[in-house]
Formats: sequence, structure tokens, C-alpha cells
Amino acid sequence: MTARALLTNPLTLAAGAIALLLAIGEALSPGFAQGDQIVRLTTVAAILGIVAAGQNLVILGGREGIDLSVGPMVSLGAVIAGNVMAGQDAAILPAVLAACAVTFAIGLVNGLGVTVIRIPPLVMTLGMTAIIQGGLVVYSQGVPSGNAAPALMAFVNRPLLFGLPGILLVWAVIALALGFVLRCTAFGLGVYAIGANERAAMLVGLPVARIRCLLYGFSGLFAGLAGVCVIGYTGSSFISVGDQYVLTSIIAVVIGGTSLAGGAGGYLGTVLGALALVLLQSVLTTLQLETYGRQMIFGLTLLVLMLLYGRQARLRV
Amino acid sequence: MSTALIRSRPWMLTLAALIVLVLVNTAFQPSFVQPAVLQSNLTTFLPLALVAIGQTYVVLSGDIDLSVGAMAALVNVVTVSVIAAIGGEGMAAILAGMLAGLATALLCGLLNGLLVALLRLQAIVTTFATGIVFAGAALFVLPQAGLPVPERFWRSYGATLLGLPVVLWILLAGLAFTLVFARRPFAAHLLAVGGSRVGAFQTGLRLERIRIGAFVLSGLFAGFAALCLTGETASGDPLLGQSLALSSISAVVLGGTALSGGSGSPVGSVLGALVLGMIGNVIFFAGLPFAWQTLVQGVIVLAALAGGVLVTRR
Amino acid sequence: MALLEARGVGKRFGAVVALSDGRLRVEAGEIHALLGANGCGKSTLCKTVAGAVAPDAGTIAIDAEPRRFRGPRDAERAGIALFYQELSLIPQLSVEANLGLGHEPRTRLGFIDRRSLRARARELIALFDGVAGPELTPEALIADLTPDLRQIVEILKVLAREPRLLILDEATAALDGRQAERLFEILRRRKSEGVSTLMISHRLDEVFAVADRITVMRGGATVAELASAETDRDTVVRHMVGETKLRPAAGRRPPAVQAEAGLVVAHVSNPRLRDVSLRVAPGEIIGLGGLQGQGQSAFLQGLFGVLPFSSGAVTLAGEPFMPARPADAIRRGLAYVSGDRGRDAALSGRSIFENLIAAVLVREKRALVRRSALVPRATQHADSLRTKYASLAAAIGTLSGGNQQKVFIARWLATGPRVILLDDPTKGIDLSAKADLLAIMRQLADEGASILIYSSEDAELLEWCDRVAVFNAGRIVAELAENTLDPFHLTRASYGEVA
Repeated sequence: MTARALLTNPLTLAAGAIALLLAIGEALSPGFAQGDQIVRLTTVAAILGIVAAGQNLVILGGREGIDLSVGPMVSLGAVIAGNVMAGQDAAILPAVLAACAVTFAIGLVNGLGVTVIRIPPLVMTLGMTAIIQGGLVVYSQGVPSGNAAPALMAFVNRPLLFGLPGILLVWAVIALALGFVLRCTAFGLGVYAIGANERAAMLVGLPVARIRCLLYGFSGLFAGLAGVCVIGYTGSSFISVGDQYVLTSIIAVVIGGTSLAGGAGGYLGTVLGALALVLLQSVLTTLQLETYGRQMIFGLTLLVLMLLYGRQARLRV
Repeated sequence: MSTALIRSRPWMLTLAALIVLVLVNTAFQPSFVQPAVLQSNLTTFLPLALVAIGQTYVVLSGDIDLSVGAMAALVNVVTVSVIAAIGGEGMAAILAGMLAGLATALLCGLLNGLLVALLRLQAIVTTFATGIVFAGAALFVLPQAGLPVPERFWRSYGATLLGLPVVLWILLAGLAFTLVFARRPFAAHLLAVGGSRVGAFQTGLRLERIRIGAFVLSGLFAGFAALCLTGETASGDPLLGQSLALSSISAVVLGGTALSGGSGSPVGSVLGALVLGMIGNVIFFAGLPFAWQTLVQGVIVLAALAGGVLVTRR
Repeated sequence: MALLEARGVGKRFGAVVALSDGRLRVEAGEIHALLGANGCGKSTLCKTVAGAVAPDAGTIAIDAEPRRFRGPRDAERAGIALFYQELSLIPQLSVEANLGLGHEPRTRLGFIDRRSLRARARELIALFDGVAGPELTPEALIADLTPDLRQIVEILKVLAREPRLLILDEATAALDGRQAERLFEILRRRKSEGVSTLMISHRLDEVFAVADRITVMRGGATVAELASAETDRDTVVRHMVGETKLRPAAGRRPPAVQAEAGLVVAHVSNPRLRDVSLRVAPGEIIGLGGLQGQGQSAFLQGLFGVLPFSSGAVTLAGEPFMPARPADAIRRGLAYVSGDRGRDAALSGRSIFENLIAAVLVREKRALVRRSALVPRATQHADSLRTKYASLAAAIGTLSGGNQQKVFIARWLATGPRVILLDDPTKGIDLSAKADLLAIMRQLADEGASILIYSSEDAELLEWCDRVAVFNAGRIVAELAENTLDPFHLTRASYGEVA
């Protein structure tokens, strides 16, 4: 890679942003870049990163692919897991399976709406957001419900191996698995193919609709899994706990160099994007910037990234 | 014949649904037909109807505007803040506030249009992002709900004029605008751009101007809706109108406008907005447990969206 | 004084010279035909005259006054209107709205004057009274109209501008005989009013029926200007063909004997094809000839399951074969190489390796991308075509057009296809790449593959193919083999002249 290519590579940029934010954080409040603080921030980034894994897949698949329902899907995963395990260590596995199965199924419904009925993804998943939120109200009757099992909380928050909490290991496994699927399976090649050129993918015989449908399913699944992590992180859940992940998951993916047009990018960039974003949030909190400031910075970041990576072609005769 | 009618005027189906919903609602709630109840219902439905009109123009031109809710919130807080800054109960302060609000709406719409049509960004994600920025700006202008508007503002909004409620006049004015506007060449060009961008380009239409115009209209209608919401709530709220984006798109689709652009009408969207409102009413009066209402409404809206997309797809 | 006079017009697209010496003189009040084989530059010349393409050299004069058009608007203001093949209509709008689009009559208040819009539309539609059918009304939506009526609306849209020079590029392609005849009547009537027409047509009988004069182009230059009353069809065809070089017959096969073992197509139709039958034996290379867009691509795409046939029957090696999607065709051993690489083939931004193995994964139903097994195969197939690339990991976009096309052909070679469909595969690739392509096709045929190739360059068909089926308006009008397989017969058949 030439020096110039290295400098304009999204991965390098994201890594640079991480280093810069760490330096700023350390300058603003000494101790910001210390070991246990970094482990804590990485734990927060892991939850975002797991949500962003699904978002990443959907965006890679192209045709304006995006999933706005990941927010309530995280909440749903947390509420289901919390209620199924109800504080019992023995019920952790069924809780995880239940949360993921439900969110995977809802994701598939998103996929069917997008592929079979051809509702624009953003509208479909926005509509699904309203339904899941309604479902959560019914399920929880408006009161926080469900408790994390102690073993789950320990897994997410306490060091497990090499001083790292279990959730970071889970994140690493997901990253490796996703890297393998995207690079070494026909499904992964299909994901990039339908995002890069849907017609060409159809002409080499790839099952375009089936692949796209599954992407939305996986997006739901990852959000559900992140929901389980959220309840492990906080101990209990409320029905809007996942809302913060909608915008942040999209930005993490775009910072990581995945094109909003689809067909280019990967999960390694998104991992760096999630880390950079969590650091940015943390720095903004240190600066005591209020909600509006954070929100505007996030919105503007997304617009700037689109200007950099997301412009469409001009019409010609 | 009937299928041809539904295809050329899909809003007839919406009108039929509206009539059925009104009848069902009246059965559950006999007082529905009383003028005061009708007026209060209309007051609730009006903002969405106005936003849906503006959204229709954007959708017809082949784009989409997800920032309408945030624009409404921003206009609301700008209006109440300007009125409060000038102070007093005077008409001048109220007018200045309304003008400032509408100017904000116009600028927001223009910004959306420039980003999408001139800088060629995806409409859907761009307006999602600008919506976030507008929402942040609203929180900046007014961090917490408050700042009551002068009594004169909300009293005149709730009053009657020539025997009819002001809210009804506003709705009629909105409808009249759409009918007049439909006869302008610009309206035909809007449909052409949404119907086939290549065809419109080859015919020599100025695509950028037309698409920007649609976003400005959407902004302005979101602004008018915000003024109505201000009249209804009589104060500022930076978190206002969060559901307007999805609801207005649903209203547009329910009104028979194709999301792919090029065919449909704002009148249909107004009917779609009324149908959405009535669905909420019927669910409420049908005695469904409160907790179930959002879910049922969400399912009906998504089902209607899917149905609308299927019907308007060719 | 000529209405239009173009001299020495030249245009290059990158390295390709589309037009070297375009000359054209259209008098006021005449119908002028522009003829030539595929790729002779006639469409490019029309587009420069209509302001859609800026020429690199030469002059264009209107009424003896030199003009430089910056865009179609300028040309339109000068009274020149170009017919677009259906592309400028808005399907969701009514006929009247389309006819008036951008030029709506207005009332004093600036509203659309619907009454005069409708009256104008009625007036225009009345021109095709009796041949257009009752569905063509001002209120009808374009989307509801049949292709012939859409084409009529597109013609009316051009007429509505009241131009002094109408440019009709294949304006009769979708019309039936009576509708085309009516169009010619209208053009003749306009002619008496001093309006001129420049027409490109795929039928010589049409040209001789209406055109006053004929300009013939070949290889990017104008080679003849003829008065149609003083010439005949064979002379025109000879001008289009030029000096006939008899090609060496080396490598050409005798007609096949065991056609049943290959592909047998009987009476198939789809929206762009009418009743096409063809037999291709293993080892044969069959060309699909004719002017562009006469159904050759529709036929290949039908065989590949992209535009499935609505009627007829196909057998492959004796078994019924009716693919509903490409995956069906691929698993039966078909391959489809398109010339429109950007639209149909390139997984843009992805690596050469991914682009190369995509079809293998489908054909062999592989779930895993085993690099250890696939990289050697990819390398072997890319090298067999002498593809020049730095590394299989490089993005497809880093290759030249010719090398990209080799990758897309290697993509299919790797699946070991029995039938190879080539849809204008040499578009925009250089000569040595073409020669490599020919060699590999011949080798595959020798190994028993059936090859169908459509090319917009007649020379390739003549040089490469054992037989050529010539398409005109969705039908096969002639099958050329042995002593009829020459430029003269091919060009004649392309223009609808049956042997």
C-alpha cells in the first residue's frame, strides 16, 4: 500500500481517530487512558459493536439497506432475556436462545417486507420499530421487568480471562466468525455481490432475495444478543434501553469504511468505528456537553461521512 | 371497472376506509358526531394531515423526507422562543414568532433539498441525519418543555370563524392549496421527475430545481403543522412530533401515493392521515387494554403500508 | 440552401473513433435516410446534430449558418427534435401530460391550460386516427399502453415541438405496417410544408418507400449520397459493405449432423421475440446477426432464464429445458457473457478472485470458498485467456476493459459450460483480446460446447461463426451458411431483405 492509500484508508483513519480521542481524553482528564478505564470503555463498545455487526451486514447488502429497528430489538432482547432468566444462573442459556430466536424471526419479517413486498428498508424497519415498541409495552405493562442472573453480570463486568471480561471474548469470537463468513463462505461472497451489483449477482445465479432476507434476520439476531449483554451490563432492563443504538450503530459502520451504497467494507472497520464512537461519547461527556450538542455532533458526523463516501452518480443522456 | 377506478384514484379506497372507520367509531362512541368532539378530533389530526401534504410532494418527486418531525419540533421551539423574547401578549410578537418559525422551516427544507439534489446524497439517510441535527438544534434552542405562548395564540387557534372552527379552515386552506397547486406546471414536472428521472432529464426539465422545490414545500408544511401543534399545546416542546416521520409516510402510502414516486395526490394523503387518526380512535374506544393500543396501531400501520406499496406498485 | 449541412464531423470516445468524417446534407422539405452497418457511426452523427453529443471536429450549419450546440435545448431551439426510443416518456403520467411536458400551455394566472392541453393532444392523436386503436386517448396513462402506442406517443411528442428537422432513429421498430405507413404519410405531408426528416431505419423497403435521398456511412465516414429514385437496394447494400474481402474459410465447420445432442429451440416468443426457432449442435459456433436491438439479446436472455420465454419449447441434449431464473440455466451448464460489463457482470469494487469464482460457487453448490482449491483454478482459467493482472486480490476495476471481459469469460469457463451465450462480448475491448477470445471459443467448440454469439460487429460474425441467424424485428429472417455467409448477404438480411 502506498503512503497516500494508507492515509486515506478508513481503517487507518478510524485507528487515528481512536488514538487522537485517547490523547484528548487523557489531556482533559488524566487517567482517561488507563487500563481499567479502557477495559470499561471497550465493554461499552462491545455492546455497540455487536449491534453494529448486524447493521453492517444489512448495509453491505446494498439497495439502501439499513435497519432502524435495531434499537427496540436490543430492548426486546434485554426484556425477554431478563424475564426468562429471572435472576437464575441456570436459565441463562434458554434466555439467550429465546432472545435471539425472537429477534431473528422479527428480522426475517423485516427482510421479507424489503424483498417480497419491496418496502424501502428504512420505512419497513421504522414501521417495525413502532410495532416492537408496542409489543414491549404489552409485554412489560409499563414497568421494568426481568433480572440478570449473577453469572451473566459477572461475565459481562468482571475479568474472566487475561483480566478481560467475558463479553470482550464474545465480541472477539463474533468478529472472527463474521470475518470468516464474509471472506470464506459463498454466503459472504453473495453478500458483497448483491451489494456491489445486484443484477450481476442475479446473472451469476446467486439467490439475491434469500441472502438479503437473511441479512435482516442476522441484524435482528445480533441486536437481540446485544440486548442480553445490556441486561448483563446494567442488571435490569427498561423498554427504551436500546434506543441509543440506532444512530450509533449506523455511524460506527460508516466510520469503519463500509459504504452506505453497499458492497464494500467489512467488520474490522466497524469494530474500530464502535471503539472510536464510544471514545467520542466519553470525551463529550468529559466536556460536559449537553444532549443537544452530542446529538448535533453525531448527525453532522453522519452527514460529513456521507459527503466523503456516499455521493451518487450524475445523470447523463 | 372498479379496479380501474381504484388504480386511477386509489384514494377512493382510503375514503371508503375513512367512512367505515367513522361509522365504527360512532358506534363505539355515540358522542363522536357532536361538533365539539369533531373539532377536538380534527385538532388532533390536523398536524399530521399538513405534514402529510408536504411529504407527498417529496415522495411524488421520488425522494423521501424523514426530517419532518424534527423540523416541526425546531419550528415549535423557535416560534415560542421568539414570542417569549419579544414578550407581551401583542399580536406583533405572535406574528414575528410565526414568521421566524416558518423561515426556519423553509431553511431546513432548502438544506435538505440542496444536500439531496445538488450534492447527490441518498435522500433517505440524508434526511435521517439532518433530522437528528434539527432535533439537536431544537434541544439547543429550548432544552426543556415550557415557555407558554400568549393566550391569544391558542384561543384563536381553538376559536371559530364564520361559524366554523379555525382548525377546519386551516385544513380547508391546505386542501385548497393542493388543488390550486395541482394545476401549476410545477406539479406536473414534480410527477415527471418522480415517474422517470431519465425521461424528465431527456425532456429537458430542471431536475435539481424541482426536487429542491419539493423539499422546501415539505419543510413549509412541517412548519405550518408545528404552528398548529403550538396552538394545541400552547407551549414549546423540543421533543414534539417524533412519530411524524413514520406517520406521514404511512399517511402518504395509505392515500395511494407510490413510494417509488410519480403517482398519487396530496388529497389522498390527507385522507390517509385522517384514517390513521381514526384507527387510533377506534382502537381507543373499542375498549382494547391501553397497553395493547400502540402494538395494534403499529401492526395496522405496517400492514396498511405493505398493502399500499403492493397496490401502488406496477 | 440546405437546412442542415454537416461536414467533416469527428468524434472519439476514449480510444475508439466513433466518427471520422461524418458528412450530411439535408435539404428543406425532404425525407433523408441515413444507412450503414452496425458501428458505422450513424447514431453518433445524429446525436451530434441533435446537440446530445459534442463533436471533436467538423462543422454543423443550419441555414448555412455554423452552429455550436451546447446541449439538446440549443438544438431544439434551432428547430431540431430527436426521437428517443421510448426513454423520455413518464409511465405514470397521462398521454396529454407527456405530450405537453415542459411546454405546458398556461392560462394568464400561470396555471396549466388543461383545455388547450387536451385539445392539442386530441389534435396530435388524430394524426394516427384509425390505426392507433381506441385506447390512445389524452387521458390514458402511458403505463397502460401497448409498446406500439407508446412509440406513437413518443413520435407525437417530437411532432408537438413543430421542429423543422425531425430525427427519427428507428421510430418504426414497434409499429405495425399500417401505423408505419401512417407515419410516412405524416412525414410526407410535413415535407410539403417544408419540414425535413432524417431517418434511421432497419428496413430497406421502408427507406425506398419514403426517402428522397440516402446517405450511406461506413467505418465512421460518409461514403455515398444517393437519390433513392436513381439507385437500387443492392447498390445501397454494396456501399454499406464496401470492398468485399472474402475471408479464409479455415476452421469453419460443415453443417452439423447431430443437432439433437445440442440445443433445439422451437417457436419461442417473449415480449421482444416472435416465433424464433434455431438448432445448435455441440461443437458449433452460431452467430446472431442483424442491426442492434432486433431481439438477439432477448433471445440469449430467454435461454438464460432472465427474460423467460412465454411460449415455444427448448430441449438441451434431448431433455426439456425451460429455465425460470439464471440459477436453473447455470446448473444445466449454460453460461452468459454480456457486453455491458458494468451493468451485467462487474461486481464493482470486489476482487478479481471473487468476480471470477462467483459462478463456480453456484454451479457446484459450494458453501465454502476454499482458496486452496479455487485459487489454482481461477489462475488457470484467467491464464488460459492470457489475462493480464497483478494479483487475484486486486479490485476488478484496476483492469482494462479487455482484461475485465476476460475475467468474466473465465468466470464461466470455470463452470465447464456446455452452452455458451455471448451477448455482444467484444464491446470496447482491443484487437488482441478479441483474437484471444476467438481462439478460446474455437477451442471450447472443438471440445464439444455449443456457442451462440451476438455481435454488433458484422466482421466478427463472418469471421468466427459456422452459421449466422439474422434477426429483424424479433424474428429470424435468414440463416446464412457457407456460400451465403458474406457481408453482402448479411447486410441485406439485416435490413429485412429475405434472400
